[in-house]
Amino acid sequence: MINLITLIIAVLCLAIFISIIRFITADDIYTKILTVNLIGTKIILLVLLFGALSVKKDFTDIAMIYALINFISTIVILKYYEDKEEYK
Amino acid sequence: MKQHTIPRIITKLIVPFILLFGLYVQFHGEISAGGGFQAGVIFASGFILYNVIFGINVGEKILPIGLTISIMAFGIFLYIFVGLLGILMGGNYLDYNLLGESKVQGQIIGIFLVELGVGITVSSVMILIYYSFNKFEDNK
Repeated sequence: MINLITLIIAVLCLAIFISIIRFITADDIYTKILTVNLIGTKIILLVLLFGALSVKKDFTDIAMIYALINFISTIVILKYYEDKEEYK
Repeated sequence: MKQHTIPRIITKLIVPFILLFGLYVQFHGEISAGGGFQAGVIFASGFILYNVIFGINVGEKILPIGLTISIMAFGIFLYIFVGLLGILMGGNYLDYNLLGESKVQGQIIGIFLVELGVGITVSSVMILIYYSFNKFEDNK
């Protein structure tokens, strides 16, 4: 069971790595925002998996706060670029 | 942002739960992860999200700047008051043991009040930082 969770964590780290590469190579601002959102979602999954490995319940609270901050930051950044002239 | 339906509906649905989660982190700070500072930030983030979606200045009708500064000062006052209450009862500064009838009750009352002061102060400071960014954009 531990081996399965370790495998899932490794795959998630690989997905985060691929997302970081896409973030570096993208020249469009919307693709960058999308990749940041992807990385945030995978980090939430990582936190929940670590919480499943150690039996503490606190990790679920931390994952919820992470999801909340991820949502708010995406909304605020998109609103910032909506008001700018050169991105319309 | 009137034409964006999905963020508006999602924000209407999610803001009460954000505020409720902030209160949960506030009152369970000594048991699980969290405390006054984190609860204040979560509470203020819900307020800021509502402001960002429904118009920049819509929050100032509920919480004007002067009232926010007063609330911030009240939080600091609550912290210092609980601290000085320990001295008045014959102990040290922030001595929780003397506040209740037994030691455990005193600890619970003291931690609750001090964390409440920290949470109120931090949340109003975060809202004030958001307001000051808005005013910065106006003055330019």
